Amino acid sequence: MSFVPKTAAYSGKINAVTLGTGDKAIVIGGQNVLPFYTFDAPIEHAPKIGVEISDLAGEWDAPELRAFYEGCATMADYAKRAETMEGADFICLHFESADPNGADRSVADCVADAKAVAEAVSLPIVIMGCKNLEKDGELFSKIAEALQGKNIAVLSARSEDYKTVGASVALAYGQKVGAETADDINLAKQLNIMLKGLSIAPESIVMNIGTAAVGYGFEYVASTLDRIRLAALAQSDADLQMPIIAPVSTDTWGVKESSASEEDEPAWGSREQRAISMEVSTAAANLTGGADAVIMRHPAAIATIKKFISELV
Amino acid sequence: MALKGLDIFKLSPKKNCKECGSPTCMAFCMKVAQGAVSIDKCPYFSDEAKAMLNEQTAPPMKTITVGEHKLGGETVLFRHEKTLVNKNLFAVSVCTCMSDEEVDKKLADLQKVDYERIGERMYVEFVYVANNGTDPAAYAALVQKAAATGRSLVLACWDVECAKAALAVAGKDVILDGATPDNWEAMNEVATAAGVVLGVYAENISDLYDTVKKLEGKGNKNLVLDVTGKTAKQTLANAVLVRRTAIKDGDRSFGYPSIVNVGKLAKGDAHLQTAYASMFTEKYGSIIVMEQMDYAQALPLYGLRQNIFTDPQKPMKVEAKIYPLNGADENSPCALTVDFALTYFLVSGELERSNQPVNLIITDASGMSVLTAWAAGKFSSSTVKKTFEELDIENKIKNRTLIIPGKVAVMKGEIQEKLPGWNVVVGPLEAAQLPKYMKDKEYEAAAKAAAAENAAKAATVEVVKELSFEELLETRVPKIEVVDMGVKYKGHNPESKTFVTIGERIHCIAPVIRKAMDERDPKPILERAAQQIAAGATYLDVNIGPAEKDGPERMMWAVKLLQENFNNVPLALDTANKKAIEAGIKVYDRTNGKPIVNSADAGSRISNIDLAAANDAICIALCSADGIAKDNEERMKHCHNMLERGLSLGMSSDDLWFDPLFLVVKGMQDKQMEVLEAIKMFSNEGLKSTGGLSNNSNGAPKHVRPIMDSALVAMAMMQGLTSAIVNPNDLRLMETIKSCDIFKNHTLYSDSYLEL
Repeated sequence: MSFVPKTAAYSGKINAVTLGTGDKAIVIGGQNVLPFYTFDAPIEHAPKIGVEISDLAGEWDAPELRAFYEGCATMADYAKRAETMEGADFICLHFESADPNGADRSVADCVADAKAVAEAVSLPIVIMGCKNLEKDGELFSKIAEALQGKNIAVLSARSEDYKTVGASVALAYGQKVGAETADDINLAKQLNIMLKGLSIAPESIVMNIGTAAVGYGFEYVASTLDRIRLAALAQSDADLQMPIIAPVSTDTWGVKESSASEEDEPAWGSREQRAISMEVSTAAANLTGGADAVIMRHPAAIATIKKFISELV
Repeated sequence: MALKGLDIFKLSPKKNCKECGSPTCMAFCMKVAQGAVSIDKCPYFSDEAKAMLNEQTAPPMKTITVGEHKLGGETVLFRHEKTLVNKNLFAVSVCTCMSDEEVDKKLADLQKVDYERIGERMYVEFVYVANNGTDPAAYAALVQKAAATGRSLVLACWDVECAKAALAVAGKDVILDGATPDNWEAMNEVATAAGVVLGVYAENISDLYDTVKKLEGKGNKNLVLDVTGKTAKQTLANAVLVRRTAIKDGDRSFGYPSIVNVGKLAKGDAHLQTAYASMFTEKYGSIIVMEQMDYAQALPLYGLRQNIFTDPQKPMKVEAKIYPLNGADENSPCALTVDFALTYFLVSGELERSNQPVNLIITDASGMSVLTAWAAGKFSSSTVKKTFEELDIENKIKNRTLIIPGKVAVMKGEIQEKLPGWNVVVGPLEAAQLPKYMKDKEYEAAAKAAAAENAAKAATVEVVKELSFEELLETRVPKIEVVDMGVKYKGHNPESKTFVTIGERIHCIAPVIRKAMDERDPKPILERAAQQIAAGATYLDVNIGPAEKDGPERMMWAVKLLQENFNNVPLALDTANKKAIEAGIKVYDRTNGKPIVNSADAGSRISNIDLAAANDAICIALCSADGIAKDNEERMKHCHNMLERGLSLGMSSDDLWFDPLFLVVKGMQDKQMEVLEAIKMFSNEGLKSTGGLSNNSNGAPKHVRPIMDSALVAMAMMQGLTSAIVNPNDLRLMETIKSCDIFKNHTLYSDSYLEL
């Protein structure tokens, strides 16, 4: 053979973080090569897919998506149905309606939902809040307490509230905590250092390094992913070796490409197909850049990304 | 690719003998790189050096041209390392195995996707025409149909006779994707004879490499590599290995663009093709072939491509124009902000959340944020007026309410004056407050008040005569009162080689200084001056803001105030208003050094060099035009442009202080060494340098900044930095500078050197 490819496995390695318990527990991270670079070294743990269940899921109006969840009323109903979805590795409960500037649902109600879901499903659970710092702080702490022993991950601790979220979620209740920053590699590293400074084990930390739908400043996400992975692997930077969970659907369903009606954009064709396609493209782009897990909504998009992952690993 | 000036310079004799007619070897090499002069003008360049230049400056990856399209030419593996150059293109496939109806539908459908997104045309650039048989006439007929779309073609055809027939009808904008380890010799002849790009395919990457070598041996380097494998996994491996071998290992035999056929990898599965196409957009596909391209696929894919191929070195700008939001029309109020992309996304997002119709007017501010642009004079009543004229807003919109950002409330009066028919209203300080502000229609009352004020003003129109500087001085500049601040400026010898610190704390971006300037209140200004002088500043910078209205009298007042109070402390005059600088120099006392004009650049502000030359002043020369220079090649090009301009106007090169533009570590960590290298280049040419050094630590914690600034100033002084714009009250920094001056043998050591 005249051409012998050089391989580039690194000494640095992404932390392997376990979510959930029992048979359905999953491991994210663990590789020492760039995403899908199986020609450099085998990848032991394939990237995972989480299914987003919002407490506002009743408002989802895409016909196929509605049909899939036909008859579901509670978050637990939705979660049970989601568990049957081809490609579902974990369930992501999104408590949008807790927002004090929105429906301002009570923490007690949210916790009750989370508990009901935990009893109904066996897949690992990831929690997303309402982006209101104060409310999320209370919500995260109470859910982490109620679901003790389930080994859930809570997204996310931010630089403003990492102390309270980190201390309650990870230290008091032994759950995994997400470190959330917005497309800023220096801040991502700093936040991990601060969380470790609270004596949280690195294996209890995952990252959300910032999200965007493709077409909407995704270059910042892409370059942050590239730079974080290169620092973690090539420079063995232990403060950036946490695996990355990328929420995808929460960004993609809101943009014009997914939301514009067929009357407003007659040339664009089916709105639901557009929404699926935005999810698929954004998820694939995240995974190619370095996300170890993506959070998605539509069964067709999830099935596609599942196939994508299994073909590549 | 053109030779790089700095690469040439490395091999140059570095004698600065001027025999070539250029002042320095560096200047000569820059001209050679630009093609302005032949390298033979230099009698001292060795033949070996010239040969080495050709070898060294060949790019790692070829740029292949097909019609108007450019493929490849990449120099890095990741966009953050520099930038990606040529975006990937998309193709849709048709095949001889399809029925006529199928082909016609595909060709018609692919033309339906054709739209514009942020200034870029989004469409399927190529038709990929696959040949499945051995009938030349059948293939040629299909190719002819595909060519009729006007798109460029990829002819996927391994049969030599079919290829010949196809090329006869295909036109010139074609890639013949037909060479394999078996037929390469014959295909090469066909492609070369037709003058088209040749695509190369092999089942494994090793055979691909060998085939390319053979083709290169025949002199054909007009190639693309079809890296499509049997599986997606193999295809990604091929694409990555080919690119990595070229860019990282410098093996140019793999330095060609790629073709990836995702239609083959996911037959009949449009969503999976979208997923693969997204991956290959990020990872090294040059032409991505799909079975179809409908809007559902195009919208995310073209959006992603546009993101990935934006140049990270350029500020993200949006187009200056009217953006009607929430169904706004000519009767809706207007809100104004700058063209920095993040500002635009934030402001438009919040305005949309308000659900109130509003016309968002984006004005050209060189991609800077509101306050930065204002301080740099890029967001002023004049630039706003220009935007209004260029966009013909006066005629396009009937509503006369104009909401300006709360952060530039100070501009209200000036904008009101420049846009007489409008009712200018100051909006909220933060974008997040916009939804409430718009919903509650808070602007309405303010607009009414503005209208009443305007009417009153119109009634009492007075003709203002433009006053000369002398008249202004006489009538508009308050008498200076000398106050004992307990500090005396020690004086400065302009001949001294010691490092020149320019104190930056009298700056209009600080609200207390802005207010003091507006009200001609000496106290806050004198206080900050006294602190800086006590801390050992050589010069003081005086930033009076854009000061479009009363710049001259403002500057005259500030100059006299500072110099009369502090023993003629030398000053840097800092404003975008040229008249103000001129006025300031008129009253300036040169005892302790010439005035500094802060600043000129190689772009729209280059004429400040003329101003400095005409007034025998020093000029800070920013080595940038519009936006940060992307590399030292560009920095030095700007440097030499400005140097030549200054010299031609009779300036001494000592009076041009070149500013490489210090970059912030949080965000541009990997560019720091390049800035330091630029300082070394200035120094090697005997040029002086300065810059806003503390920008490096912007956003870092307060206690860390002095440490970073001190370390950087030491490194920069080692490189030959001669001055910096700093906060003199940073003790650690000032002590580091004094220590470095000792090591550089600029001042004689004594145990008390820090106290001097």
